[in-house]
Amino acid sequence: MPPPLFIAIRFIGYRKKAILLSLTGVILGVAFYICAQAQTQGFEQFFIKGTLGSSGAIIIGNRFQSLHTAILDRQGGTMVNVSHAKPRKFYEGITDPERIMRAVNEFSSVTACAPVLEGSAALATDFRQEVFRVQGIDLGLHLKASALREHIVAGRIEDFQEKPSGLILGYGLADKMRAQVGQDVGLIGPDGEYRTFRICALFQTGNLTIDEKFGYIHLKAAQSLLQRPYGISHLMVKLRDPARAPAVAAHFERLFQHRARCWQDRERGSLEIFSLIRISAAITVSTVILLAGFGIFNILTLMVMDKVREIAVLRSMGYRRSDISAIFLWQGVLVALIGSALGCVLGAALTYGISQIPVDIKGFLSAKRFLVHWSVMDYCAATVIAFVAIFLASYFPSRRAARLAPVDILRGSGQ
Amino acid sequence: MSMDATAGVSAANVPLQCSDIHRYLGEAESRVHVLRGVSLQLQPGCVHAIVGPSGCGKSSLLYVMGLLDRPDGGRIALSGEAVEGLTDDQVSCRRNEHIGFVFQFHFLMHEFTAQENVMIPMRRLGRLGVREMQERAAMLLEMVGLGDKTRRNSQHLSGGEQQRVAIARSLANDPQVLLADEPTGNLDTANSERVFQLLTNLVRQQRKALLLVTHNLLVAEASDWIHEMRDGLLTGCRAGRPH
Repeated sequence: MPPPLFIAIRFIGYRKKAILLSLTGVILGVAFYICAQAQTQGFEQFFIKGTLGSSGAIIIGNRFQSLHTAILDRQGGTMVNVSHAKPRKFYEGITDPERIMRAVNEFSSVTACAPVLEGSAALATDFRQEVFRVQGIDLGLHLKASALREHIVAGRIEDFQEKPSGLILGYGLADKMRAQVGQDVGLIGPDGEYRTFRICALFQTGNLTIDEKFGYIHLKAAQSLLQRPYGISHLMVKLRDPARAPAVAAHFERLFQHRARCWQDRERGSLEIFSLIRISAAITVSTVILLAGFGIFNILTLMVMDKVREIAVLRSMGYRRSDISAIFLWQGVLVALIGSALGCVLGAALTYGISQIPVDIKGFLSAKRFLVHWSVMDYCAATVIAFVAIFLASYFPSRRAARLAPVDILRGSGQ
Repeated sequence: MSMDATAGVSAANVPLQCSDIHRYLGEAESRVHVLRGVSLQLQPGCVHAIVGPSGCGKSSLLYVMGLLDRPDGGRIALSGEAVEGLTDDQVSCRRNEHIGFVFQFHFLMHEFTAQENVMIPMRRLGRLGVREMQERAAMLLEMVGLGDKTRRNSQHLSGGEQQRVAIARSLANDPQVLLADEPTGNLDTANSERVFQLLTNLVRQQRKALLLVTHNLLVAEASDWIHEMRDGLLTGCRAGRPH
């Protein structure tokens, strides 16, 4: 054991109450940080999971007019004056979806791709009539590319598979329309024709904007309802690593000349709100750790003032300035180590406890329990914050201790 | 300075010597020339006492010779090796290995037992394992008559016992030189005598050099050499009357 550590272990017992108070601050700060991050990220991850499960990591949509970038690129960096530039033209839907799907499936980062025809239709029940977004899907492909199966909360997906006029409705929408599984409802397309569909199942993603606005029917039925035979409005792409979606989407866009939007881009507004909440929670809770650090700064500063004679004697015994500094830094390290370790344990316990609290959230997201996300990174971040705060808190007193001139202390010493 | 005190000792055998030491304290108008060209050689196996009125520079000389303070001029040699030009860390290492300090106040650390206090310099030197350090500390405490109080917390010892622990601590790394700043100044007569006797016995038996600063004339007279100091200068040296 290094001599400064041996001395630090004994010195740390000095002013026990004060050091315990600061240690408690570090423990609570670390625990609250972990807990707050677990909650904010819990809701964020729930939202992301719902988004990826219902819309995929990338949506390849409308074809766009090719830009003249290839011509411009060939100019090799020379200045080109483009006059009367016009905005890019978009053409609705996917042109030759089969070919694009084949190409997309060739990518190793892609795990599934499914065609979707989306449009607006009116849903009519005995109770009321409401416009919603209907998606025509190829069930086999859609189940591979989405989390629809996991989202089913009532009815059976197999019933939908067997029934050409089957309908899967969002739980929120069914609730609004007072519709139930097994009930026949009417769908009215742009032509105004009334077609009867049977509700085979209800899904719930937890994202209310999806659950209250969407319903699924078979692709062929949608093409007929929306009067777009052979039409595909977009392709839904599932990726092995959704975090890589922006780069893959940009590549797809260049390659297929179709608009490709990654989930990060589609949900930017919501994700930014989550990010702001997370940062805000981190800053707020970090102040607890900073306050504990300030307490440790006070304790160590007082300790240096009280231990000047011991410091002088240690110097007379041949302890170097760096050894004296290390004695006080080690005390900080010990507080940070113990505080972080206990804080992580308490944080995990609090997070688990919170995840067991039953709630009934219905709003932007709907959940029956507090949502938490378990991430090692939160524990690491809390530990790093605690170490940085406490290192800074112990650095200045330790530097002061190292700079003390032993002779001045010994000359003026007395008991 | 007296040449008598070092007669017949070659430079390499002189554990500690200083020559023409100057030291100023304070700044600007309050600047005081506390050491005005002091030279002194310590002989192994001898007790050197410095006596003189308060403020004459006795302690300043002790701290400079103990490498705790840097002189403004002059040379210091530890076992023949000049210490000028050494870094602060190098000087600290020399101090740890070659010099033992005893102060008027014991300055023991209350967080440690008597044995642990004695082990503190050994831990810094790092030559012995924990068990060896414990054994050596126990042996040193036995030597100063505290063999039965090794595990006792230092603050639960009497004043005399604490000072004896401080002496044991000063011997921890078996230094060639002991520097004592009024080691008996805070003790009653019986303890004073005991502590001084202990120090002189150690010096004689282990051939160490002891330089002690004292106001106690009885202690000074019992030393081998008495150096008189006045106004930052050693004004005389005479042989004492050791028992």
